[in-house]
Amino acid sequence: MKRTLLAAALLAAMTVYAQPPAWQQGRPPAMADSKLAPLAGRNTETPASEIPIGKVKLPKGFTAEIWATGMPGGRAMARGDSGKIYMGTRGLGRVYEVTDEGSRRTSRVVVDKLTQPSGVAMHGGSLYVFAIDKVLRYDGIEKNPNVQPVDLTDRFNLPPQQHHNWKYIAFGPDGKLYVPFGAPCNICEPPPEYAQIRRYNADGSGMEVIARGVRNTQGFTWHPRTKQLWFTDHGRDWMGDKGPEDELNRITKVGLNFGYPYCHAKGVLDAEIKKKDACQGVTLPVTTMGPHAAAMGVIFYTGSMFPKEYQNTMFIARKGSWNRAVKFGFDVANVRPSKDGRKATVKPFMTGFLEDPKTAKFWGRPAYLLQMPDGALLVSDEQLGAIYRVSYAKK
Amino acid sequence: MRSSSKGRWAWLTALFIAPALAQSLPERLQLCDACHGPGGISAIAGTPSLAGQPPIFLENQLVLLREGMREVPQMAASVQGLKDAEIRLIARHYAAQRPTAPQGKPNPALMKQGAVLAQKLHCASCHGADYHGREQMPRLAAQREEYLEHAMNGYRRYTRRGGDTMMAAALYGVSDADVKALAHYLAHFR
Repeated sequence: MKRTLLAAALLAAMTVYAQPPAWQQGRPPAMADSKLAPLAGRNTETPASEIPIGKVKLPKGFTAEIWATGMPGGRAMARGDSGKIYMGTRGLGRVYEVTDEGSRRTSRVVVDKLTQPSGVAMHGGSLYVFAIDKVLRYDGIEKNPNVQPVDLTDRFNLPPQQHHNWKYIAFGPDGKLYVPFGAPCNICEPPPEYAQIRRYNADGSGMEVIARGVRNTQGFTWHPRTKQLWFTDHGRDWMGDKGPEDELNRITKVGLNFGYPYCHAKGVLDAEIKKKDACQGVTLPVTTMGPHAAAMGVIFYTGSMFPKEYQNTMFIARKGSWNRAVKFGFDVANVRPSKDGRKATVKPFMTGFLEDPKTAKFWGRPAYLLQMPDGALLVSDEQLGAIYRVSYAKK
Repeated sequence: MRSSSKGRWAWLTALFIAPALAQSLPERLQLCDACHGPGGISAIAGTPSLAGQPPIFLENQLVLLREGMREVPQMAASVQGLKDAEIRLIARHYAAQRPTAPQGKPNPALMKQGAVLAQKLHCASCHGADYHGREQMPRLAAQREEYLEHAMNGYRRYTRRGGDTMMAAALYGVSDADVKALAHYLAHFR
């Protein structure tokens, strides 16, 4: 009954936007016959023996090992105080809990049957789970694995459209919960509650829109010193192999506009949604992250394990392109911002997942990153449902 | 993973003949065929044909059904407890079957309407110019017409979970009548 009511409410909400302005799939005539399509994910488990970890390439002194397997579709990772790691998924609808037992890792499913519960965050001992249409909080879950969730859905006023509305979430240094609401299309003039980043108090109150013109951010973090928020944003599809490139942005104050749908990357005008002075008042990215790269998880490295040159630099996982004839990304990049934070250099750091860009031959797709207390870097592979550990030792 | 290692095949072969399985693969397939038709060509309204579907598509859907992500009451008992390895075998079996042309004559007006829509919505981009599907994207050609309509409605009404939301976006704002025309066109596509 409850589900029927919910479905009815969803349908009612949808009809409001039955004909949004300038809805476009965005496909120029030249690409009408293109065969590009999203790359297939896997819903089944991949054992460690089928993961060719030896193909990973890293700078000298770094090593990658398979740290955990058996979490199909695992994406963002949130680590609790006791060391348990929670992982969200999209299509498979699960949230995993990964437990480090020293010599090996085990995992269990905390919750399933959710609609793309990709957003996970730990805060004050509670696990927050964001699906497209549901928000759950598990209090004290690390100590009490059977704790029943508190349903916070009603407090967050989630809009009805699903596309690009699976979440990455994180708590900021201000204790607020940051939640993106992506554009519900490839390219369109989004209805007012989309294409933005919001923040809330932990209980869902006090909502503020802090940034607009954000197409689809799937990763953000705060600079360890300036406490400014840095986020990745996926560029639109179907404008060709050159881009527009994904963005790495910095929020210096509340209320900035990052350009979507009119102005992309470093001032690329949209091919279909046009307006006069499209880039006027738009905050351009610190740097671009490559065409269709799918820049995802982002961290600032503050650990003591890696060489000094990596201190306070960024690692950004690029899951890899689909909307591009020659594939790009499928790596973890090291990004070094300038002192004033206005520019940055991007250099591939962990590669080898993409074996042939021309035939789209790849075996893994790095998606998210987590710095461990010992300074090692965990990298989730959404394609194979695995976590790799990158460590450094002077040789 | 696209390239299957020798080890995996050996393992699958071992599993195929392993007597420990609750049900042997032929027994499982018989159960599937009972509703989906011999060789996965369905004669039952509302039940999809499986013949010639891409193996990854079948694999993904079986997992979603097993997990209860896709809630299909008729399927619940059949997929309960299926192991990932069994799912891969079932998927490969139906992927290798040959689909046949659908029953019933195409309606020229609907075919024309459907063709225009399919082009406008770029269906072939993912599902292929022959609509045979590939990877995670299903074959549409020769699928049962009423099932295609049902599936498209599931995507646009958010009642079918576990798929890419791109289908909801692709069908956004498409009218009921247009969905019917698309289903007719794709079901009869040759």
